[in-house]
Amino acid sequence: MTPGHDHHAGGLAVAAPAAVCLAVLLAAGYVVAAHRLRRRGDAWPWAWQASFVAGAALLAAAFAVRMPGQPFTAHMGQHLLAGMLAPVLLVAGRPLTLTLRALRPGRARRAVLAVAHSRPAGWLVAPAVAVVLDMGGLWLLYRTPLLAAADQHAWLHAAVHLHVVAAGTLYAFAVCQLDPVRRRWSLPWRAGALLAGGAAHAVLAKSLYGTPPPGTSFAPADLQAGSQVMYYGGDAVELLLAVIVAAQWYAATGRAHRRRVAAAAAH
Amino acid sequence: MERGRSMAAAALIGVAVMAAVDEIVFHQLLGWHHFFDRSTPAVGLLSDGLLHTAELLGLVAGFVLWADLRRRGTLSAAHAWAGLLLGAGGFQLFDGLINHKVFRLHQIRYVPDLLLYDLAWNGAALALLAAGAVLAARARRRTGAAGRDGTETGR
Repeated sequence: MTPGHDHHAGGLAVAAPAAVCLAVLLAAGYVVAAHRLRRRGDAWPWAWQASFVAGAALLAAAFAVRMPGQPFTAHMGQHLLAGMLAPVLLVAGRPLTLTLRALRPGRARRAVLAVAHSRPAGWLVAPAVAVVLDMGGLWLLYRTPLLAAADQHAWLHAAVHLHVVAAGTLYAFAVCQLDPVRRRWSLPWRAGALLAGGAAHAVLAKSLYGTPPPGTSFAPADLQAGSQVMYYGGDAVELLLAVIVAAQWYAATGRAHRRRVAAAAAH
Repeated sequence: MERGRSMAAAALIGVAVMAAVDEIVFHQLLGWHHFFDRSTPAVGLLSDGLLHTAELLGLVAGFVLWADLRRRGTLSAAHAWAGLLLGAGGFQLFDGLINHKVFRLHQIRYVPDLLLYDLAWNGAALALLAAGAVLAARARRRTGAAGRDGTETGR
């Protein structure tokens, strides 16, 4: 039995159309909201919109398009797009900020704010929690018989996909902290989450090169190609996240420096 | 001038550049190194994962620190060059001794007589470190007096 073989026939029969619909709805909602802001004269950067729409498109593509390569490599390509790259692009579009600005004052807006500022949401986006949820899920998937089981049960397969996308988004959200939530975590926490997450991902990728997930029978060449896709793809996404965090730091230090210079000049 | 910071920022870049050269030239282009050698112990795998990620983050952190120093006009170029070479040489030596020999992550090349490769690898590391040390001493001589009298700006 090779997961990924009837991967696309079984589990994805339900999950794929749902994921594509969700991605299209997300992108459409975002574009409508940004348009509403611009029509009333507010600025909303096109780059943020482009990032979010690209993220949604990649999410849809990950489920709608058959990835190249043998089963495990294709599975990794999908994992990389849906669970890592698409989430970063979605998060970089500041969807929560846009939602809060586009909604008129009222019940809906208050509800979104209440959730965003709630204690559980605050804990969920703590970098340390997000990294455990994301990487813990990944280790469970590849180091327990979960992957083999997901191949047998369509509902489990769909749940795994949902977790990968949700946890990936949570991780990107927690590390980047571009949207307003209950608490802002400092740079060391976020850098620590990047380091821990990246290391857990790299170790898992390298270990998959030699040892397949329990209960699966992928060809060695497939396993080796897939684990390298995971390793180097993970590097690329890690780099992207680090650049986002570094750019925030650079902008914040620049503002602080200008304030100091202005204060010194005033004296 | 922020001399220590200039050197540290460039050293981070040096480490990352050397790691990238290793990854691109020896793993990908030449195919000498193995991606993962089955005799690697778990602790080696863990240290490799942590260091590999730290290198990536160090590259970004080094560049953004360097850009910040430049923006504020407090970059000491002489110290930065010294730091770059020290970082590159330090990584090369660490890779050659700890990663290859202690953790046995992989070898430089899978040939019967490895000694020559090991000597060349670690010799190159020592040469880089020596050049970095010379530059650091020169940078110190050149700016040594200036740093003491309160020209330190920024922080």
